[in-house]
Amino acid sequence: MSIAIRALIKRFGHFTALAGINLDIQTGELVALLGPSGCGKTTLLRIIAGLENADSGAIQFDGQEAGHRHVRDRNVGFVFQHYALFQHMTVFENIAFGLRVRPRARRLGEIQIRAKVQELLSLIQLEWLAGRYPSQLSGGQRQRIALARALAVEPQVLLLDEPFGALDTKVRKELRRWLRRLHDELHMTSVFVTHDQEEALEVADRIVVMNHGQIEQIGSPQEVYDTPATPFVYQFLGHINLFKGRAHAGWVRLGGLRVPAPEYQNAKHTPAMAYVRPHDIDLLREPEDGDTTLAATVSRVSILGSLVRLELLQQSDGEIAEVEMTRERYATDPLQPGDAVFVKPRQLRIFLRDDSIDYPPVYWNGGGI
Amino acid sequence: MLVSPIQRAITEPPIVRRLLIGLTLGFLTLFLFLPLAAVFYEALRKGLGVYFAALVDPDAAAAIRLTLLCAMIAVPLNLVFGIAAAWAIAKFEFHGKSVLITLIDLPFAVSPVIAGLIYVLMFGAQGWLGPWLAAHDIKILFAVPGIVLATVFVTFPFIARELIPLMQEQGIEEEEAALVLGASGWQTFWRITLPNIKWGLLYGVVLCTARAMGEFGAVSVVSGHIRGATNTLPLQVEILYNEYQFAAAFAVASLLTVLALVMLAVKALIEWQAHQTRRAALAAKGETEG
Repeated sequence: MSIAIRALIKRFGHFTALAGINLDIQTGELVALLGPSGCGKTTLLRIIAGLENADSGAIQFDGQEAGHRHVRDRNVGFVFQHYALFQHMTVFENIAFGLRVRPRARRLGEIQIRAKVQELLSLIQLEWLAGRYPSQLSGGQRQRIALARALAVEPQVLLLDEPFGALDTKVRKELRRWLRRLHDELHMTSVFVTHDQEEALEVADRIVVMNHGQIEQIGSPQEVYDTPATPFVYQFLGHINLFKGRAHAGWVRLGGLRVPAPEYQNAKHTPAMAYVRPHDIDLLREPEDGDTTLAATVSRVSILGSLVRLELLQQSDGEIAEVEMTRERYATDPLQPGDAVFVKPRQLRIFLRDDSIDYPPVYWNGGGI
Repeated sequence: MLVSPIQRAITEPPIVRRLLIGLTLGFLTLFLFLPLAAVFYEALRKGLGVYFAALVDPDAAAAIRLTLLCAMIAVPLNLVFGIAAAWAIAKFEFHGKSVLITLIDLPFAVSPVIAGLIYVLMFGAQGWLGPWLAAHDIKILFAVPGIVLATVFVTFPFIARELIPLMQEQGIEEEEAALVLGASGWQTFWRITLPNIKWGLLYGVVLCTARAMGEFGAVSVVSGHIRGATNTLPLQVEILYNEYQFAAAFAVASLLTVLALVMLAVKALIEWQAHQTRRAALAAKGETEG
């Protein structure tokens, strides 16, 4: 089932949770709503489910207006961050609940209900827990039960609110891989909320990045990571280095670095910011001609498994920059704290600091000045 | 008893502990156990014959019936009200919520005598509704309805007060989950909410029943003390006592005490049961994860 959201607005008192959301979700897609806490992502999910009402705007399921439909008539599956399993029921009864509360005319017989629950238990590979109570299970098991319970009513959309937020790192990694596999099997339209960018990048087909009740960018994991539309997206997804400088007549100067920025032809000494990912930086022993490098000193070297992270102190303003490289590459020139180096960004993006002028961001790829 | 150095460092010296325990026990003995024992001693002093004669006396029997009737009406009424109020407060956001919570506490704050007087003011011959009630030949004051009303007023907060924090702590996620799964409001209430609050609810019912049977002040004001008709057990005790029928007074008092003790035992049992359920769950959880 496809979902269309149009000009959705929701306020809580004076707080605007959603400031005009437009979003289309295709049938069978797995979409992540990603953003910091308070950005409105959970509110949006709850409005899609019908657990919350929007102040204005429209929601359509398969092109049909669904905003007025009661939550029990929307045929959605909802998975809560804290599982919300029924404490006084066994795992079996939890999963069977949605089948047992159906109106008599649509209710399955006891034998069919049992078969259906068994089928779901084997899908989540927890058949042996059927007789247990939720308080007897670990967090990961509870969340899988919650998912099976949501799937029991054969929903057309699966909505997950920070489904792995309350789990520890190892279980979380396992479960999100498992969720991705499950989605590939079932092909059910799914929307999940997360504040964990790694989770969104790994699991989702498309990512909707939200901030302050608005959508900052919609795109595939690669799109939002490689070509962020706004400074917020840049900062929120992955680590970044920020270089401050000024744009003037088609060039941006960042300390000793001069970068062409033809889009900012008309800028006159406008403050600008350049974003560089730690892995998009080359470190040289000698400066290059033509203002393409920044002088810095290595202040710290940390080995993080397969990666090496170097902390640099920029000579011009004393700001810290981070560089990441593989261990193989580090081994070719093992820099030590105190070594003088020259920073050469391979790829950077420039945004003007003056927000009143809506310049497009500039992409710059290393050489070719 | 072996005391590790750490325990010694964080507990009081033995002398202080013994003193505190002794003080508590002494206080309880003097002000609770002794009076309680005195009730039964006085009741049985003139022999079992006198004791049972006092209980089967028609006036006493009528008082027992009235007391039980009052409890049987007041407790279910407060049960329904308590669940409704706690549900509204714990599960919805609305204006004037804090005012409502304060209002529910009002019967705790107001003296029971005042509670009784409120009903005299409303339903008495000179009260607001008195003339109208007299014209339609409806008797509330100095009759059973007045006693029931006074009892309901006084026992009003018990169940609601017990449930509000419990339901607030539980939140509404389970109910939301049930709704998303297609359950109706009633199904959600019977299958999810009620099982989750059952221990707290039982506890509140027990407290409410104990208070409904033991209430004196408010009932005394509205009852009119008509023997065999509008006397509850506590009022019957007072009348017998004032008439110097000590053995009979204490016999009825002992019956009331037994009812209170039974309620106390039920309450302890409920607490123990709830505790066991929790412990079993925790133990089993440790087993799974261990």
